[in-house]
Amino acid sequence: MGRRILGRLGAALTCATGVLLAVATAASVSRATVNYQTPAVTLVRADGQRVSLPHELDDGRPVLLNFIFTTCSSTCPLTSRTLEEFQDKLGPEAARVHLMSISIDPEQDTPSRLAEYARKFHAGPGWQYYTGTLAASLAAQRAFDVYRGEKMSHTPVTLMRAPGKPWLRIEGFVTPDELVDDYRNLLTAP
Amino acid sequence: MPNESRGAAPAMALALSLLMGTCALGAAAPGPSAGESLYRRGQLPSGEPVQALRQGGATVRGADAACVSCHRRSGLGSTEGKITIPPVAGPYLFTPRGKSLERLGVPFVDTARINHEAYTDESLARAIRDGVDAKGRLLNSLMPRYAIDEATMSSLIEYLKDLKTAPAPGATSTVLHFATIITPDADPVKRRGVLAVMNQYFVDKNNAAARTKAPTLYSSHATMFRVERRWQLHVWELTGAPRTWETQLRAHLAAEPVFAVISGLGGSDWGPVERFCEEQGLPCLFPNVEAPVGDDATFYTVYFSRGVLLEAQLIARELAAAGDGGRVVQVFRAGDVGEAAARALEAARAGSGQQVVNHALKAHGPPQELARALREAGAADALVLWLRPADLGALEHLKVPTPRVWISGEMGGLERAPLPPDWRTQARMTYPVDLPGQRVVRVDYALSWFRMRKVPLLAEPVQADTYLALGLMSETLNHMADAFVRDYLIERIEMALDHRVLTGYYPRLSLAPGQRFASKGGYIVRFTDPQGSRVTPLGEWITP
Repeated sequence: MGRRILGRLGAALTCATGVLLAVATAASVSRATVNYQTPAVTLVRADGQRVSLPHELDDGRPVLLNFIFTTCSSTCPLTSRTLEEFQDKLGPEAARVHLMSISIDPEQDTPSRLAEYARKFHAGPGWQYYTGTLAASLAAQRAFDVYRGEKMSHTPVTLMRAPGKPWLRIEGFVTPDELVDDYRNLLTAP
Repeated sequence: MPNESRGAAPAMALALSLLMGTCALGAAAPGPSAGESLYRRGQLPSGEPVQALRQGGATVRGADAACVSCHRRSGLGSTEGKITIPPVAGPYLFTPRGKSLERLGVPFVDTARINHEAYTDESLARAIRDGVDAKGRLLNSLMPRYAIDEATMSSLIEYLKDLKTAPAPGATSTVLHFATIITPDADPVKRRGVLAVMNQYFVDKNNAAARTKAPTLYSSHATMFRVERRWQLHVWELTGAPRTWETQLRAHLAAEPVFAVISGLGGSDWGPVERFCEEQGLPCLFPNVEAPVGDDATFYTVYFSRGVLLEAQLIARELAAAGDGGRVVQVFRAGDVGEAAARALEAARAGSGQQVVNHALKAHGPPQELARALREAGAADALVLWLRPADLGALEHLKVPTPRVWISGEMGGLERAPLPPDWRTQARMTYPVDLPGQRVVRVDYALSWFRMRKVPLLAEPVQADTYLALGLMSETLNHMADAFVRDYLIERIEMALDHRVLTGYYPRLSLAPGQRFASKGGYIVRFTDPQGSRVTPLGEWITP
C-alpha cells in the first residue's frame, strides 16, 4: 500500500516537473484510506425521488462518490468524463458498482438539470446524481471533507468503498485507467 | 446633480447617432470566424464538435473542449479550486519575456504567468496541438491537445490576438462611466427611490476617492489609476413605445459611452433592454425588474432574481403537490407583470390536466372590477392574485371565495401588502426573498446608510437591491485592478458573488457561467396576525 502511494507520488512528481510552477498541484494524485461518518440526510435524486444518503451509499454494491455542479466549466467536465470512461471500461460489470455524484450547487442543480447533465455524460444505470437542500448538500460535503467554502473553490476528490470497508480517498485528476485499477484493488483487498 | 441632466453637446451627439444608428442597420453582420466558433462553442468549421485529448487519455469534446470553458470569454483566464487558468488574449502570449505588460498598456490579471517565454504563431500552434509551451515543456495536464487543421488553427490564433485587453469605452484614465436605464412604464415612486440611492452612492464614491491618497507602498500604475478614477452616472430615461427603445439605447451609448449599466428600473417589458445589452456586449447588472425576460443563456444581463416568474414556479409546485381537481383562476391587470407571471404559471401547469382560467382586469380600471373576477372562482378552485397593493386593499368588502388563495409578494408589497383581515387568514403569499427576521441585519446595513446620507426611503426592497448592486460593482472592480474589459467584469461578478456576506434581501447569491439569476428560491408565507406585518413561513426555502 505504502509503496504504491510512493510510486504514484513519484510518477506525479516526474510529471509535475515538466509543467509550469503555478499549476503543478493540479497534476498530482494522492490516495489515502479514511473512515467517514455518513450523515443521515435526505437528498433528491435526479429522478425526483427523495432518498436517504446512508441508504444510497449502502445498497450492497461497492460505491464511488464524487461532488460536482452542472455549471462548473473547467474541472467537472473532466471528472465526469473520467467516470463515463470508467463505466465504459468496466463494460457489463459497470452496473455492479454504484456511482454517485452529489451537487455542491443544489439550488441551481434541479433534478431535471442533473438528469440532462447525466445524459450528456452517457451515465449508465449504475450512475446517479443527487441534489437536495443546501443544508443537506453541505452536510454531505462536510462529512466527506470536500467542503471548500464555496463552489468555485472546489477540488477534485473521488471516494471509493467496498461494502464494510473504509473509504479510499483519491485527490486530484485520476485517469479512467487508474480508477479501474483502484476499483479492482479495492475488491481484492483483504 | 449634473448626473441627471444632459447638456446640449451630448444631445446633439444623441441625435447624430440616432441618424447613424438607422443607417448602420442595413449592413449585414459577418458570421463568427472558425477561430471564434472553436473558442466559444468547441465547434469545427464543418459544424462537428471538436475532439481533444487530455494527458492520461481522457477525451473531451464539443462545448466541454471549447477554450471558453476554462480561459473564459474574455480570454483573461480564471481560477477554480487550486487551479489557475492563464490568460490567452494575445499580449499575454506573445509579449517577449522581460517586457513590462503594464507599460504596453496590457492590464494586470491575477491569473497571468510571469516570466514565460513568448509564443510565436508556430510555437502556439504546437502548444495547442501537442501540449508543450514555447520552451518545449509540458503544459498542465488539464490543457487538452487539439487535432485541428492549419486554416482553423490560424483563425484561432487570429481570434486570440483580437481578444481585447485595452480599457473598454467608458473607462478612461480618470473616469469610469456607468449608465442606469429607466423605462417609461417604471413606477415613479420606485424611480425616485432608485435614483436617490444611485446619485448618493456616486457622490460618496467620488468623495472617498478624493480623500484617498495613492497608496505609497504600491508603485504599480494600475493601483494608482484605480484609486483615482472618478465614477460618473448617466441616467438613460427611455420614452415612447418599447419597439423604439433599442434605437434610443444605441443612441445613448454612442453619445455617452459607458463601461457598464448598473441597476435601473423596468416596468412590464424589459425585453428591448436585454436585447440591447446582449447585442452591444454591454454588462447590464442587477436591474430592478419584476419579470425578467431572459434565461440562463444570455451573457451580459444578470439579475438578482426571476421575480414574479419565480413566484409562478413556486405556486405551480404547490398546485402539483396538492394534485387535486379544482381549476386555477388567475387575476391580473392587463399590461402589468402579472400577465407574464400568469402565462408562466399556465405553462408550468400545461399537461397536468388542471384547467387554468385567466381573468385580465382593464389596465387602469377601477378596483370594483375585482368583484366580477372573483365570482369566477368556486370553493374547490385555486385563486391566484397577481395584483398590486391598490387592488389588494379593495378586496376588503369581498368574500373570500375559496380557502386556496395565493398572492404575489413581489407585486403586493411583501409583508406590507394591504390585505384585509378576512383574506389574511386564508391567503398564502409567495415570498421570493429572505424572511424579515433573517434578513434584518443585512438590510439594516443599507438602511442605516440611507439614514446617514439622508436618502429618502421610498421603496425599501428596490432601494436595498440598488444599494446592493452598487456595492457589488464597487467590490468587483477592486478585484479587477485596471482590467476594464467588459466580458471580464461579468466573469469576475460570477466569481465574487458566492463570497458576498451582505446579500441584502436575499439569503444568498450565487452565479456561474450559464447562471444569470443570483437568488434561486423563495418561501410561501402566511400573515401571522389579522393586522400588522408579521409573516409565518409555511415550510422551508424552496428552489423550484
